[in-house]
Amino acid sequence: METTRFNKITSLWIITVLVLFVVAITLGIIMRLNQSELITVSPITFYTDMTVHGLTMIGIWFVAGMAAVNFIMERYVKTSHGVNVFAYVMTVVGVLLLWASTFFGRFHAGWTFLYPLPFKVMWKSWATPTFYFSLAVLGVGWLVWCLSLVSSLLKKYSLKEVFAWQHFSKNPKTETPPFVLIAMISLVGIITCLLAAVILLVLTFAEYYSKGSFVNDALLMKNLTYFFGHTIANEMLYLGLAILYELFSEISGRPKWKTTWYVALAWNFTLIFILTAFFHHLYMDFVQPEGFQIIGQIASYSASLPAAGVTVFSVIVAVYRTKINWSLANLLFFLGVTGWVIGGIGAVIDATISNNFILHNTLWVPAHFHTYNALGNVLFSLAFFQWFSAKYGGGSQRWSKVVLWLLLIGGIGFLTAFYIGGADSIPRRYSSYPEVFATAKTLAAFGALFATVYLSGVLVFFVNISKRCLKILLQRS
Amino acid sequence: MQYSILMLFFVLAALLVGIFLYVFLSSRQSNGQLTGMANALQKRFWFVLILFSILAIFASVTIPKSPYFLFSGEQPSKVVYVAARQFYYVMSYQAIDPASPTGESSIELNTNELVEFRVTSLDVNHGFAIYSPHNELIAQTQAMPGYVNRLRWKFSEPGLYTVYCLEYCGMAHQAMKTTITVK
Ligand code: HEM
Ligand SMILES: [Cu+2]
Repeated sequence: METTRFNKITSLWIITVLVLFVVAITLGIIMRLNQSELITVSPITFYTDMTVHGLTMIGIWFVAGMAAVNFIMERYVKTSHGVNVFAYVMTVVGVLLLWASTFFGRFHAGWTFLYPLPFKVMWKSWATPTFYFSLAVLGVGWLVWCLSLVSSLLKKYSLKEVFAWQHFSKNPKTETPPFVLIAMISLVGIITCLLAAVILLVLTFAEYYSKGSFVNDALLMKNLTYFFGHTIANEMLYLGLAILYELFSEISGRPKWKTTWYVALAWNFTLIFILTAFFHHLYMDFVQPEGFQIIGQIASYSASLPAAGVTVFSVIVAVYRTKINWSLANLLFFLGVTGWVIGGIGAVIDATISNNFILHNTLWVPAHFHTYNALGNVLFSLAFFQWFSAKYGGGSQRWSKVVLWLLLIGGIGFLTAFYIGGADSIPRRYSSYPEVFATAKTLAAFGALFATVYLSGVLVFFVNISKRCLKILLQRS
Repeated sequence: MQYSILMLFFVLAALLVGIFLYVFLSSRQSNGQLTGMANALQKRFWFVLILFSILAIFASVTIPKSPYFLFSGEQPSKVVYVAARQFYYVMSYQAIDPASPTGESSIELNTNELVEFRVTSLDVNHGFAIYSPHNELIAQTQAMPGYVNRLRWKFSEPGLYTVYCLEYCGMAHQAMKTTITVK
């Protein structure tokens, strides 16, 4: 009874995420096609698509990670099914409001809605409050979900255990499963950045309704925006890693991973680095105190140490000269780690202030973050979807090689066009390119073509998975 | 410069793909008798130490090259005031009055003279990115309302430079630009 309820809500999440993913990729392809001038949409349509694409993608891969973490967490502690359903309803309502404000209201301030752009109304006047209201709905739903999962964890584990601090002593009496530790670290990070988003929204509403008597500080607002935006985009990847720590060994038919002192240390450090790395988004704001800028570079570099030294190294140790039952799910995990690391290199390069001086807001930025999303975190979530639907929905696994190759070839081609564009100094977020950017259109067409290959891989996957998930949903309990 | 960065990235990415492929193949060839990695903990320790050293060297070489410290010991021989707004730039050799912003019809600078750009915005956030005559991004800063960012630069090559907006500022963002002549 209990498990079928959780299977059903998880299936619903999976189907919803995949449907929205297909829509969001299509918007991405439309953007690339417009930049290549193979099709023409108005700049407003382009920027509306861009805003929807960015926010939808961040939203769905965040909830995909959360849904997976919630499902696995049931193995260790009792979580609230009601809150899970509540988060689902809030997410759907939030996305619908968001789409209303953008597709109908033409709101197009970008996924970062950087203050004070949303106030310079270039769209229907109701669109700005509707947009912020949609964010508030999403934020409340997600905050409640995170707090509920944290309280479930804290009912069983003490504060010390949930952060695995007992592993710093010689002979720890209890073991904190790696999944519990990583889930906790991620949830704390997410709650912190959602609280920053609450402050951001309150300040925004205050200015909006004060009719000019209260004006915000643009630098403070930018810091808050990226504290929220950078952190949530990173933490959703860690949710994916929590799943990997739990399932990779299981699917591979290997002994379960254990928490050791260095795993505990790495993840505790990760929490600190991730909350200070966002400063790298403000490198080109020279008025920001220099100390913060340097902290930004050092924290960004440091974040790669625990990631590479512990997580990536552990995956390599687990696979190297070891017999493994390879299947679509663990191959997706393995490929996802590769994509994550390569995107990470692109990120470290850009997080170097002197490089950022000539890369900031060029196509290098979408290049690196699409790498660890489209070929990293997305693959972690797809791996979970595959494992879950096969385990509870049954049915044979078909076309898995095809799916892998389409995702891989499509992804690599699509990303290469972005990286070369970055090196050619082509700006990001341009609906069309000035003629002097000689390579820009060709690269965009190339990107659109390969993105279509990626999309076809997603579609094959989608058909397989949603069939099984529908079966789970329609099962009688 | 951008192309050496791209090459560095491609080399590192290829190296990683090689490592992951090698590890994957070693698992495929394993018949159950192979016993994983020997002395994994020790190898992990060395790996982290090496990575740490590389990053520390990188940081100490690159941080002093940050744009905040560019020409910080010198006196600029020319100051150019820049006020960005949707969707154009006002540039002047004199301070710009936000109430009635007016600027020069063209900005002319000399090679090898130290110029300080004082960049602000009169509405939303914009970018101020200088592209060389070969259309290569060479320097940039943000234009933020309520703040003035000071960018110091010496142009080494004469020609027509283009300034593009690199911070998304609304529906005509892609058309926001101006030029600077260097003699
Ligand atoms: C193959 C699939 C995808 C395609 C074709 C695609 C395409 C694009 C394009 C063309 C842009 C605008 C680039 C520019 O600035 O000129 C963009 C931006 C963006 N994409 Fe994707 N993308 C894909 C997958 C993803 C995924 C998986 C994520 C996950 C988080 C994502 C998140 C974003 C974000 C956050 C932005 C920035 C939006 C903004 O600037 O406001 N994308 N994408
Ligand atoms: Cu602008």
